[in-house]
Amino acid sequence: MKIAVCVSHVPDTATKVNVGAEGKSIDPNGVTYVVNPYDEFAIEEALKTKEKIGDGEVVAISVGPDANKETIRKALAMGVDSGVLLKDDQFRDSASVAKALAEEIKALGAELVFFGKQAVDYDNSVVGQMTAEYLGYNCISVVVDFKLDDRKVTCEREIEGGKEIVSTTLPVVITTQKGLNDPRYASLKGIMAAKRKTIEEKQPAAAENKVEIIKMKKPASKQPGKVLGSDATVVPELVRLLREEAKVI
Amino acid sequence: MEGNNEKIRERSLIPVLLSHHYMIIKNNPEEIQTYLVDAANYKGFCEEVVFPESENDIINIVKEANKTGKKITVAGNGTGLTGARVPEGGIVIATDKLNSIINIDCDNQKALVQPAVLLADFQSELKEKELFYPPDPTETNCFIGATIATNASGARTFKYGPTRNFVNKLNVILPTGEILSIERGKNFAEDNKLTLLTGTGSEIIVNVPKYKMPGTKHSAGYYVNPRMDAIDLFIGAEGTLGIITEVELKVLPLPQNVFSSVIFFSNEDDALSFISAVRNKSKDNPESIIDASALEYFDERALKFLIDDFPNIPAEAKAAVWLENEFEKKDEEILYNKWIELIEKFNGDIDNAWFAFDNVERKSFQDFRHAVSWKVSEYLVKNNLKKVGTDTAVPHEKFKEFYYSCKDLVENAGIDYIAYGHFGDSHLHLNMLPKSENEYSAAKELYADICRLSVSLGGTISAEHGIGKLKREYLLEMYGEKYIIEMAKVKKMLDPNSIMNIGNIFSEEYLK
Repeated sequence: MKIAVCVSHVPDTATKVNVGAEGKSIDPNGVTYVVNPYDEFAIEEALKTKEKIGDGEVVAISVGPDANKETIRKALAMGVDSGVLLKDDQFRDSASVAKALAEEIKALGAELVFFGKQAVDYDNSVVGQMTAEYLGYNCISVVVDFKLDDRKVTCEREIEGGKEIVSTTLPVVITTQKGLNDPRYASLKGIMAAKRKTIEEKQPAAAENKVEIIKMKKPASKQPGKVLGSDATVVPELVRLLREEAKVI
Repeated sequence: MEGNNEKIRERSLIPVLLSHHYMIIKNNPEEIQTYLVDAANYKGFCEEVVFPESENDIINIVKEANKTGKKITVAGNGTGLTGARVPEGGIVIATDKLNSIINIDCDNQKALVQPAVLLADFQSELKEKELFYPPDPTETNCFIGATIATNASGARTFKYGPTRNFVNKLNVILPTGEILSIERGKNFAEDNKLTLLTGTGSEIIVNVPKYKMPGTKHSAGYYVNPRMDAIDLFIGAEGTLGIITEVELKVLPLPQNVFSSVIFFSNEDDALSFISAVRNKSKDNPESIIDASALEYFDERALKFLIDDFPNIPAEAKAAVWLENEFEKKDEEILYNKWIELIEKFNGDIDNAWFAFDNVERKSFQDFRHAVSWKVSEYLVKNNLKKVGTDTAVPHEKFKEFYYSCKDLVENAGIDYIAYGHFGDSHLHLNMLPKSENEYSAAKELYADICRLSVSLGGTISAEHGIGKLKREYLLEMYGEKYIIEMAKVKKMLDPNSIMNIGNIFSEEYLK
């Protein structure tokens, strides 16, 4: 069985992000990029599933510029069998990314597809579901427990205030949530093998963006704090300001 | 608030401080309590805490204190574990305001800093300039000045040595208020005599004590050797000989490629033999491509503390080794193969070993190392317990014997413990976790036994934490009274009125 895992190359959440000069994108200078953290759960679940079945091939797919190869390489180092970069230097919205992925997954003939539940760059949380729609696959999102029994899929997913158990059949798209598994570190042999493997580059399917970024800006920076003093005499003033200025009590 | 400060000034015990109306002086018990304790939870008391803003302020305070015999304790950021910064009366000089990185000279790989610069801030400033400063004590929230006063070390000490190796120049305010500027390589002892020339031109002759320091990693008592560099006397002197006000540090180019790994073993002996093999390949062996910069050990009990936060730790692991190895890109493949070979030779679990794919993962392995200390602290606080932790280092060839003896001692006493440490440097942190007052007393006895054992094997009682006020009795036992008296004589030459950081390294009675 072929298992696809779709991965995104995103700024590390610990990195300082700035808006590019044209005001419509993230300035990549000085930004550390990593595998989207939710995608690590997707990679781990794909690998675990393959190990459990005892047969199969896991293919990592990413849409974007050359830099995304680093993320594919990490997936390879973790144990993914092969990688495909659907190379595009231009901005693609969620639907357009989903379209490109759906075409590739169709060509691969993968019936089980894993995504992270969202990418932490744009946080749209829709690419997995859209891809399922383009493919006509079933879809279970925000999964914290995954079981495959022949063609039957049973998942536990997080919902507001609780969990629900959902079952469906292959073909299916699963979007993964924290708690599903503990992603493995790459093995040394895996890292060495990953460095040698070639990542297949392909032209992604053409698709029109349905969303245009008009403007991107950083949130207003925090107001500087106020020091009222350092002993008990300032408490009444503190209470007054919390009530009248900050309006939090 | 202005009114309050006025009152404080009126109560101030040192008249000279009154004339420096801008200097902050605190004596409100609530405000100064953080200056009366350190990370070992050792507590003291003082009359007031002063916050000088310049070297001149410090000179004025010290001169006045020297005249009136007022005791001074110098405070770093309170991260020490020996009570060295905790006052027992007198005033505290908090260097907090002297916190500028004055200059980073990329071309000449050096940096000029004030003492209260946080190590973590210094390291991140350097990183932006593609430079780095190797000393890396686990707690990076410490003042640079304090790391010099304690000759701090850390994981990278394995390759780079302790803080001492990176101090080019120091400005020190002596307990008499005189300034001493010392540059490495300019003033050496002759026949065990050091001649120090102060800023005012006066000459101080110091007889260098004649004890021999252990050949291990070591931070206990004054650094001595018959031909020693004058600067080394002040590094690791725990503030007893002067206050550091400015320091020039050597920095290095930031390593571009670092191999980083956590390797698990199914028995301790294999892990210890692996460490020994890595050490042999790394040290004094320029031909070897295996050249670890950090080499650290965790026993099974330490791993149990970490498993909630790091669920990828294999359940059956009995020991783990974290290591880093800087390398040239061209050597990458050979290096990886050499490591695989070595790990497999010592039965390391190659399939479950962790290897950092990038710097983000490398950082998470460093966090793994750092987590041990704070997980232990968290456990102690939650269960209202006190730990008794060793800081010994012994000669490499004796380490295995020493390690197993220590474990036997503690296990036979039935006291809970975890063992980890800088085993590349044969440096053991065995943290005993006694559950009752009785067990605590027993642990203190064991601590003394372990110190004795270390010394009998040619090791030290303290490899990095220093002596402070908590470990004096063990230093006394290590060197004997004769040499403690020689150390006290050094202090008396520089601090004739016995005012500065009294009680650190040796007790006050030796100054009478």
